[in-house]
Amino acid sequence: MKVKKEEYFQQLSDAVVNMEEEKAVAIAVQVVEQHIDAFEAIEKGLSDGMTRAGKLYEEEEYFIPELLLCADAMYAGLDVLKPHLKVSGEAKGKIIIGVVEGDTHDIGKNIVKMMLETAGYQLIDLGRDVPPQRFVTVAKAEQAQMIAAATLMSTTMDKMEHIIKLLETEGLRGKCKVVVGGGPVSPAFAKKIGADAYAENATEAVRITKDLVSC
Amino acid sequence: MLTPKARLLKVLNRQAVDRPPVICTGGMMNAAIIEIMNSTGHTLPEGHVNSHIMAQLAADIHQFTGFENIGIPFCMTVEAEILGSAVSYGTLSCEPKVTQEKYRTLAEVHPEDITHMLMQGRVQVVLDAIREAAAAHPEIPVIGNICGPVSLAASLVDPLALLKGLRKDKASAHRVFAYVSALLGKLACLMVENGAAVISIGDPTATGEILGPELFEEYAVRYINQIINSIHESQTDVIVHICGNMNRVRHLLPAIQADAISVDALVDLRKLKDDFPQMIVMGNVSTYLLQNGPADKVSATVQRLVEQGVDIISPACGLSTSTSISMIQAMTNAVRD
Repeated sequence: MKVKKEEYFQQLSDAVVNMEEEKAVAIAVQVVEQHIDAFEAIEKGLSDGMTRAGKLYEEEEYFIPELLLCADAMYAGLDVLKPHLKVSGEAKGKIIIGVVEGDTHDIGKNIVKMMLETAGYQLIDLGRDVPPQRFVTVAKAEQAQMIAAATLMSTTMDKMEHIIKLLETEGLRGKCKVVVGGGPVSPAFAKKIGADAYAENATEAVRITKDLVSC
Repeated sequence: MLTPKARLLKVLNRQAVDRPPVICTGGMMNAAIIEIMNSTGHTLPEGHVNSHIMAQLAADIHQFTGFENIGIPFCMTVEAEILGSAVSYGTLSCEPKVTQEKYRTLAEVHPEDITHMLMQGRVQVVLDAIREAAAAHPEIPVIGNICGPVSLAASLVDPLALLKGLRKDKASAHRVFAYVSALLGKLACLMVENGAAVISIGDPTATGEILGPELFEEYAVRYINQIINSIHESQTDVIVHICGNMNRVRHLLPAIQADAISVDALVDLRKLKDDFPQMIVMGNVSTYLLQNGPADKVSATVQRLVEQGVDIISPACGLSTSTSISMIQAMTNAVRD
């Protein structure tokens, strides 16, 4: 008897939540063999699993290592399914992401990037230790709708304000939203420097992005 | 009248003192602010590589700010550098950082001879600076700063691969942690031999928010304790700084065998003291407040901490290099008055 496609989706989702990379690949292969729609399997299987993992992270059941392993399982399944997408899905929006100059801690930034990609956005990752001007130059060249800037160090927070001032100088402030986050950053700080939003964690970053970036 | 050194050591050994010491350990929590460096000419990044400038700058900080210690060095990259990761020394206002970890995965890590490694890089610079400062200021405690094991492992191996490996490749992870912890223990003992009165361990990657309680216990607590034990063998007290809000790892704090626990601004120290009356706690003046002031708010915050019975008053985290001397003086004077 043929297994229902919903069951495959559930198994994909579970493989992601349970950090089972090999299982995610095995199920994804079966999905392809059964001619089940790859887009649906990504959306209702892999992506759903990542949303569940994000929820566990918010509830402090999962932490960064678990979230990273869930993402590995998701990406592994994605690699199998992607070539079988009938139409490539249009990205929901373009986002520049990076850790501000002076800080080389990029764990949080990578998590946010991964969650935003999972949610369908196109991410341009400038890496860590990024000067304010570079955020703005790339945002301008790429016509990005949003800049997501992170720092883990209180000593580098003023660079975030610098990004916003540079955007204003370039006349891009209205077109490009700015979201800030990271350990020492607070909603009050975000408001003070004129950022559009503060994201406390990766799942919140996705929610905020959905509000701020619409095409 | 107690000397600053006697006062700090008494507090760390749970003996009564006239008032809490006010210190800034150095290392990741240093106070090498631009205003001081510009007025004395003992500047960074030169002070990261020249032992005399390092010692002078550390003494300048003590003199200008009123912090009752001398903290050496001013970064967390000395260890990563000798382990073979690429390091940039930064600028006057930007601290040094690891630009490229040596390994991509935990399994690739190939341990080298620790004694030989401790003769490389800037280890001697740091030891010379400690010796010079301790000789010149016998009444002031020189605090030797080392990186914590999780942060050092994350400076040796790509941080994301490291974090995944803590779950996925536990055998390699424990092998790497044993390696970096042995190195850190030996480095700390060299600091003690050269005159460090206290050792401070800063492990910003080892937070409950990043690791969760299970891995925090398995790696952070276990290996921090291993390092503390080797320092205790040379009869020296240890301060451990834990970043983050600690909500999920709070119950594990008593398991850390440090002589004092230093915490981030997010932690309610009064509650921490209530929960763990035996613990010597240190903290936690917001560095954001110190940067922006106003001074009377800094004083009020410090007075509240003293009233709450906080054992050692200190900034909660690394200071911004643009913090002003006057704001730090507001902090240290509030403890002394």
